[in-house]
Amino acid sequence: MNGFLEYVPGDSLLHRLNPVTKIVFAVLFAITCFCTSNIFFLCGMLICGIIMAASCQMLRPVLGLMKAVLAFSVILAVLLLLTSPSGDVLVELPWGYIGTGSIMAAVTTIVRLEAAAIPLFLTFYVTKMTDLSNSVVKVLHVPYKYAFTFASTVHFIPVFMNDMKSIMEAQTARGVEFDQGGIVNKIRLMVPLCVPLLVSSVRKTNSAAIAAEVRGFNLRTRESGYKQYPFSAVDLVVMLIAVALLVAVILVP
Amino acid sequence: MIEFRDVHASYDADIKVLDGVSFQIQDGEFVAFVGTNGAGKSTTMRLMNGLLKPDAGVVLIDGVPTTQLKTSQIARQVGFLFQNPDSQICSNTVREELLFGFKALGEVGPDAEARVDGVIKEFGFDPDDDPFLLNRGTRQLLALASIVVLAPPVVILDEPTTGLDYKECVKVMDIIRRLHEAGTTIVMVCHDMEVVGDFAKRVVVMSQGGVVDDGPTFDVLRNPQTLTRASLIPPQIVDISLALPLVDERLATSPLAFANTTDEMQAAIAQEVC
Repeated sequence: MNGFLEYVPGDSLLHRLNPVTKIVFAVLFAITCFCTSNIFFLCGMLICGIIMAASCQMLRPVLGLMKAVLAFSVILAVLLLLTSPSGDVLVELPWGYIGTGSIMAAVTTIVRLEAAAIPLFLTFYVTKMTDLSNSVVKVLHVPYKYAFTFASTVHFIPVFMNDMKSIMEAQTARGVEFDQGGIVNKIRLMVPLCVPLLVSSVRKTNSAAIAAEVRGFNLRTRESGYKQYPFSAVDLVVMLIAVALLVAVILVP
Repeated sequence: MIEFRDVHASYDADIKVLDGVSFQIQDGEFVAFVGTNGAGKSTTMRLMNGLLKPDAGVVLIDGVPTTQLKTSQIARQVGFLFQNPDSQICSNTVREELLFGFKALGEVGPDAEARVDGVIKEFGFDPDDDPFLLNRGTRQLLALASIVVLAPPVVILDEPTTGLDYKECVKVMDIIRRLHEAGTTIVMVCHDMEVVGDFAKRVVVMSQGGVVDDGPTFDVLRNPQTLTRASLIPPQIVDISLALPLVDERLATSPLAFANTTDEMQAAIAQEVC
């Protein structure tokens, strides 16, 4: 089973695209979602994203991540609902009201965040992390240390998640009941665990930095990578589609 | 007593880790689980303290299935020393770390304070030391002390000597030996056959999610089929005594061929010479 945002081998169209194409498409797709408030267009983008995930057999992990995004976007939607009075009044509040416009804005926010996130998730699932970092260095001329920092950050997310799981298991074995009580109790129990997590994170980061140094990290340049990342006609078509979508939402109100 | 009855376990629906494991561990035993990585040893340990529940079969602690016990109840019965002490240590001082288990179990009081003081003295800790600044061996000792202080009847040790130098290893194992002599049941996962030979009274050999051999330590470690099947190398003395009859057939019936410890080998040599 693959971990969080971890590459899953495959031979789909998305797998075969140039890594830079995938990054450009995902970023333009996300910008497009943020440039429009048309709920129908956003729903269309969301469906496109789901179809893309299904086309490379990544529907299940993407739906799992969408759940996490939903939790975050619902918080934003509730804030919008309570602080953006617009449209016909539905509920009076001491500081304003919740209107039909507020509900539409909240729903739009949820759909927008979900739609924008899918291609970004997919990029990680269908591209090796080394290809992502090497291609941005080779093609986009991004300094290697920035690409490495980004790749390391993503790489360490599942590592730290595993560490937290181990720490929680160790404390559970000592009698700490994480599954008892409400959210306040859980937070109270988890706060002390941030200390060992922080200590282990610093130790791991330090080890990784030393390992990189001794392997000649500072000697690496754009020319160091052996693999080439040529663009094909399909890459150009995909990028054109992304640009066309963005232009469409800017020009069409 | 801990009992496994036809236990099946997995982390993922597609990958079985344990496949029909059955055994009993009586009170006061010192049992070592050995086998290659991925054999299912650590999963067996996690099932014993309720961190993992079986997919099928039953794990009983004193006759009660772990599925019917709360984690804190199992923690009172079964202490667990993890391979990496840094997963366990989470307090700012050694004293707080030793009190953490009592707090988690809601048992802070004069008795707990007295027990903590006793353990600090026994292990030779400075109660005000920052646990995160201690060296690896001392952190492992602290993690062990934080289990010992709760005095559980069963202590599970997941590779307790990994990453320790010889002196630290001897110190940790001496404490474990004293615990066992005081009546605590010890269940240990260990890759170091010298440690297994020196301390364990019974060995359970695991391979590919099942138990392939289970018996008194030296009966198991002298069984060539078991050694081959589980890719084990016995302690050096056993290895030498097993190899001697191959050098000279006349040695097959000599006491030299049956020596399991350094003392037994010395006695056998003395007998041969005399």
